[in-house]
Amino acid sequence: MSQLITVKATDGTYFDFIDEVIGSGAMKDVYFSPDHKYVVGFFRNNQDGRSIDRLMNIVGIYRDKIFKQAGGDYFKDYFCWPEKLVEWNGKIGVVCPAYNKKFFFESGMFKGKEKEGKWFASAKLRNKFLPASEKGTWLNYLQICIRIARAVRRLHAAGLAHSDLSYKNVLVDPQTGSACIIDCDGLVVPGKYPPDVAGSPDFIAPEVMQTKTLKVGDPNKALPSIYTDRHALAVLIYMYLLYRHPLRGGKVFNTDPAKDEELAMGKFALFIEHPTDFSNRPNYKQISESEMPQSDIDKRPYTLVGPYLKALFDRAFIEGLHNPEKRPSAAEWEDALVKTADLVVQCNNSKCDSHWFVFNNNEKCQCPFCGAKFKEKVPIFNFYYSKSKGTFRPENYSLVIHDNGPLFTWHVNRYVTPNEKINAKDKVPVGDFHCQRGNWYFVNRSLESLWDFSNSEKKHIKPGEQVELKQGQKLLLTTEEGGRLAIVQFSEN
Amino acid sequence: MRRLPVYILIDTSGSMKGEPIEAVKVCLSDMFSTLKNDPYSLETVWVSVITFNKEAQVLFPLTELDKIVVPKISVPDDGPTHIGRALELLCNQYDAEVRNTNVEQKGDWRPLLFILTDGKPSDILHYNNMVEEVKLRKFGNIFACAAGMKAKKEPLLQLTSNVLESASIDAGTFKQFFQYVSVTITEGGKSVQMTPDIDNPPEEIEIQLDF
Ligand SMILES: Nc1ncnc2c1ncn2[C@@H]1O[C@H](COP(=O)(O)OP(=O)(O)OP(=O)(O)O)[C@@H](O)[C@H]1O
Ligand SMILES: [Zn+2]
Repeated sequence: MSQLITVKATDGTYFDFIDEVIGSGAMKDVYFSPDHKYVVGFFRNNQDGRSIDRLMNIVGIYRDKIFKQAGGDYFKDYFCWPEKLVEWNGKIGVVCPAYNKKFFFESGMFKGKEKEGKWFASAKLRNKFLPASEKGTWLNYLQICIRIARAVRRLHAAGLAHSDLSYKNVLVDPQTGSACIIDCDGLVVPGKYPPDVAGSPDFIAPEVMQTKTLKVGDPNKALPSIYTDRHALAVLIYMYLLYRHPLRGGKVFNTDPAKDEELAMGKFALFIEHPTDFSNRPNYKQISESEMPQSDIDKRPYTLVGPYLKALFDRAFIEGLHNPEKRPSAAEWEDALVKTADLVVQCNNSKCDSHWFVFNNNEKCQCPFCGAKFKEKVPIFNFYYSKSKGTFRPENYSLVIHDNGPLFTWHVNRYVTPNEKINAKDKVPVGDFHCQRGNWYFVNRSLESLWDFSNSEKKHIKPGEQVELKQGQKLLLTTEEGGRLAIVQFSEN
Repeated sequence: MRRLPVYILIDTSGSMKGEPIEAVKVCLSDMFSTLKNDPYSLETVWVSVITFNKEAQVLFPLTELDKIVVPKISVPDDGPTHIGRALELLCNQYDAEVRNTNVEQKGDWRPLLFILTDGKPSDILHYNNMVEEVKLRKFGNIFACAAGMKAKKEPLLQLTSNVLESASIDAGTFKQFFQYVSVTITEGGKSVQMTPDIDNPPEEIEIQLDF
């Protein structure tokens, strides 16, 4: 039997753990609490005063900034955040919640292993090793990206930078669309605690790579920061949605592979799908069978992610690649991802392993993953917002409507966003859509001031009533402040 | 995707017969199962094992990690330890298997080389020549292990400064060796530490020599 050990934490509380190492990383040996709800990781090396100070802040004021604000509890699932600092035999340990069960493979050859993000972001690993049951659908990856972006947005809003975002430090569960940021003990407070690491391969920002060999303290040396997190976040999102790296193309920068890598990720980094500079296009002759078709940028161009995300990828990998200030923020990613989820439709091919894709409104609408044509004619709500009373402007925001699909407050009112701040009543659908014998209807459940403006005489549609959707119809969803106008359009496929 | 070629050279001279080679086999297959659970390795690593005694033979050529099945390793009753031959075979295999980067295409990562021996080169002249040949090839990292009382560290030091010396030839030593191998191989996906606060040595110095 292993012994139970009790240690005192810096906050005065006590912590019990079982004296049996459950895992070891590069820096820590990790032990379970008796109920397996927590773990404690002891640093094998001595921590200097500055490191201890930083850890104290991570379990203290920084944790409060993330979790003790409005909507704080919401983020408990988004991070594996250190909660206490303990000491045992002269070694410093951090106590964290244990990873949720869903982040471990349940069956197959990797049973019991952590669902490190890498498994799901690499074409070869997906195609050759991942069991189909673990892969999830494309919509699940959109959800995973939303969660990662949201968590990073929260960190940044608190003035913190993760500094080592990578698929190693984000556990994901595609089956439920969950993600959890781990390894928070390396957190960087810009200007206060310098980073220990430069980042991980594939995610290091070009400016950090480029100045890697400069001495610490050199003013020209770029350090991990909120801006470099933004680069890493963009790479993560690109990889989860497209399963290839945005900067790993065919261009040879140096005949020494290590230098080539440094330049490809650093000084000469170039987007493989750059619209005018084709020099870093993938070299298909060099791509193995197992990385196809995901590596084929002609069959699966990045535009398949839809207009909102395409615009952000352009900023991240074209304008902002060597210009950190131009990179989209985590909040912008979150917003674009959430809006993109309103554009997805289900693939008509039941065998398609993506299941979902972003609808594109033209006669040739087809699934970019399997090529199946999308046959249904579906209604689309194109949203308009009001700048001053009575005038509406296009918002560049649409909702593709599904049979039995819901309408939510965040569609109705532009001041409502589906994030941690949403209140319980806004999580309930305000109405739903139905298709009967080829006709589409909206059933109003709770919108008090829904008005149909299509005809010269405006019509009030009360809760409980339904309205048939017609091409060009104008529906004012609410007269409240921030209320949107939806103009109905039927798809052109 | 670039491949990471890994060459492992294993001494199968007479003195390895019995317990030692059995221990090596166990450690080798443990290492492969660890690597096969590592997503980074599964994506990029290719391994070849070369064994040597009087002769050197390719136990298996450079093979994608998930396709590796370790064949039987046989050990003769006695005979010399021709590490020179092993290096010669290694260089031939390198030339045939490793994809170089040229202006047109990206090649492999610099290969890693691991050598495990319980003796010293019996073919010392040939060995010395072959060390020079190995140096002409672009290995990313070379690591050697001299196990047992009869193992000599000095010849290996000509090849690399990374030499592990151990007085015993037993499972513990081999385990340590193969753990080092797998840690080195899986390094690729890990966080990159900040460069320490010291002057960096110049990366490469070119000196024009006039004769
Ligand atoms: N919260 C946790 N729940 C369950 N297991 C954990 C938890 N934290 C760590 N472990 C286990 O302990 C191992 C080592 O932990 P961790 O990776 O945090 O250590 P580390 O030394 O900081 O590692 P590295 O720097 O290499 O990421 C992990 O691989 C994992 O198996
Ligand atoms: Zn499809």
